[in-house]
Amino acid sequence: MSQPAPQSAGSVREFELRVNPIACDAHGVCIALLPELITADPWGYPVIRPGPVPLRLLALARRAVADCPTLALLLTEPQQPDRSRARRQG
Amino acid sequence: MTGAVPTAIVVTSSTPLWYTTRATGLVALVLLTGSMGAGLLSSVRFEHRNWPRFVTLGLHRNLSLLALAFTVVHVLTTVLDSFVSIPLVDAVIPFIGSYRPFWLGLGAIAFDLMLALIVTSLARARLGLRSWRLVHWTAYACWPIAVVHGLGTGSDTSVRWVLALTAACVLVVVVLTLWRLALSWPQRPGWATAGVVLVVLAVVAGGAWLRAGPLAPNWGARSGTHSSQPRAASSTSAGASR
Amino acid sequence: MTTERLRAPDRMARPPGAGDLRLIVRDQPMELAAHRRYYGPVPHLDSGSGELITEIERAGLTGRGGAAFSTGRKLRAVATANAGRGARVVVANGSESEPASSKDAVLLARSPHLVLDGIQLCADTVGASRGYLCLGSRSPVARSVREAIAERDRAGLGGLPIEVVDGAAHGYLAGQETALVSLLNGGRAVPAFVPPRPSDKGVRRQPTLVLNVETLAQVALIARYGAAWFRSIGADDAPGSALVTVTGAVRRPGVREIPLGTPLGEVLHRSGLDAPAQAVLAGGYFGTWLPLPDAFRVPLSVPGLRAAGATFGAGVLAVLPASSCGLAETARVAGYLASQIADQCGPCRNGMPALAEAMNWIAFGQPDADIIGWARQLTGLITGRGACHLPDGAAVLVKSALTVFSADLRAHAAAGPCGRAQAAATLPIPPRSHR
Repeated sequence: MSQPAPQSAGSVREFELRVNPIACDAHGVCIALLPELITADPWGYPVIRPGPVPLRLLALARRAVADCPTLALLLTEPQQPDRSRARRQG
Repeated sequence: MTGAVPTAIVVTSSTPLWYTTRATGLVALVLLTGSMGAGLLSSVRFEHRNWPRFVTLGLHRNLSLLALAFTVVHVLTTVLDSFVSIPLVDAVIPFIGSYRPFWLGLGAIAFDLMLALIVTSLARARLGLRSWRLVHWTAYACWPIAVVHGLGTGSDTSVRWVLALTAACVLVVVVLTLWRLALSWPQRPGWATAGVVLVVLAVVAGGAWLRAGPLAPNWGARSGTHSSQPRAASSTSAGASR
Repeated sequence: MTTERLRAPDRMARPPGAGDLRLIVRDQPMELAAHRRYYGPVPHLDSGSGELITEIERAGLTGRGGAAFSTGRKLRAVATANAGRGARVVVANGSESEPASSKDAVLLARSPHLVLDGIQLCADTVGASRGYLCLGSRSPVARSVREAIAERDRAGLGGLPIEVVDGAAHGYLAGQETALVSLLNGGRAVPAFVPPRPSDKGVRRQPTLVLNVETLAQVALIARYGAAWFRSIGADDAPGSALVTVTGAVRRPGVREIPLGTPLGEVLHRSGLDAPAQAVLAGGYFGTWLPLPDAFRVPLSVPGLRAAGATFGAGVLAVLPASSCGLAETARVAGYLASQIADQCGPCRNGMPALAEAMNWIAFGQPDADIIGWARQLTGLITGRGACHLPDGAAVLVKSALTVFSADLRAHAAAGPCGRAQAAATLPIPPRSHR
């Protein structure tokens, strides 16, 4: 189970961008708003640069999240990488 | 604007408010049309090298808020104007007023819908996409209701440039709506056809009503302006004032 | 109730005639009386005491369905969700949608009561009031499983009502955790976006424990004999036993129970590997090719295979004879996987068919550097960008094929497809059925 990565005491809260791929419909609003962090794959779907959102881009990231026509873009706490690459079957 | 012949229209201290009501009403309609247009442009995923999607979305948001602001002023000046008694409650609850109750009531409906649209949009993330979308569909009702309200309540309707402005607004929305319907044709031909038919019917019916109603003589009386309230001296003359 | 309360030191030290066989001990299905004679009664647990969870954690049991997630942690997550209040659900995943795997079917046929014990124990531990046992559509063990449940009811073992669900889930994705939950909620068997995890909100929005049937059988053993016994075979970093399915170019294919950490070569030789074999597909159709005989020394366990750049997955070991073409087999699997997508996520919807097509060129045509580069680029484009790991698995499979069969790749690029591509298929491809 992914736990949020522990934040060091006194640090500013960090956020990561994440796409819900089921909701995403390749509108491309986030790609246009945040080209520093989000690029388009050959079919127009967003590829998000891994890592936390730089502080100076946080406001834009929030706007991209609000502007997504299908609410597919999410700002979350940094997740531990999902180590199991296999399908989860129990 | 005022006719050369002094008529029953009394020039009182409420005249600036009355002008403001008419002016803000018109501006609100234009802004609402702009907002509607930007929304439709977004739904057809319009994009250009110099016009990214988020510009359309930003315009849509800002024009909606501006439209709301001007509508609020429009409502306030109407209420404050003591010349015709229109209490505040008439602005949100339709059809209970005494001045042109039906056409004014349409304004109340449009105003209510505008409030719902904007409030739900501000809380979209918390509401969830489905509920938000359901409410947002009412935009297709809000805008035409606002147009008819303007044509029905306002006594500037027969003024040539006002008519032209309204026609331009209608043209913009109709064209963009047809574009939007064309886009959904491949997936949902049934719905798209129904939509086109509806749009055409609405325009035709609207035009017919306009000719038989506000542009025909004696609209003031027929629309519910009571004898104690001012009527336009002549609604066919271009010099008529509200 | 005829379950007796067993606590250490009364608990049986080990099942009789142990050896390394724990899960499947007979060639015939074990009915209830024989099961109780052999394994002893199910220990009675104080529900909510958490003692089973602690024991499972100490045993280090990990999921046997493919993801190898810590079972103890999963149990704890479901038990503590919603601060312990409200109803919970246990789902036993026996859908075994991996075409080359048959371990779950064999386990359910031979030792159904171990699985059913495990379901009951987990339900008691997390406080579940309802259980489901999900089987693949038209599963051959559906009837025997239902009979086993009826047998328990007649013997008064009662307890958790378990509903056997079969016939609804078909397709490669049907066994995926969130797809299963979606199916049980009345929807399509397609994956859902996580969060929320099933352990937080699953069937009927209740915390749901989804465990593979083999994992549940292991739980039933650990509850009886304890963590130390469980760890007495296997490796330190991979304790216990596991079921593997050996198939392909071996004389004695089938399901085997092995101590984890057993070298791959030993298992293959016991399965009768004599024809010259060039590679083995480890894990499943989302697994990795390993070259033979280099991979003989690889320990069969999650960490052991990971160190070799592969995955344990669903425990499939498919041996590829030298007379076949690994690229052709991979292309067929890639085509199958592309037909199995849920069609929900853009990168997968676009990338998977493109990858299958590229692999087709590579295997059955004369690929140039562009096509090979495009295939590699696609594997990067689809990884980690779907709601489930189907595209990730396909990417891993294709990447390993391009590496392990690099000689064939060069040969195809130079002279077109090799004659071996026409050999009979080693990896089974299910017929395309409407999902």
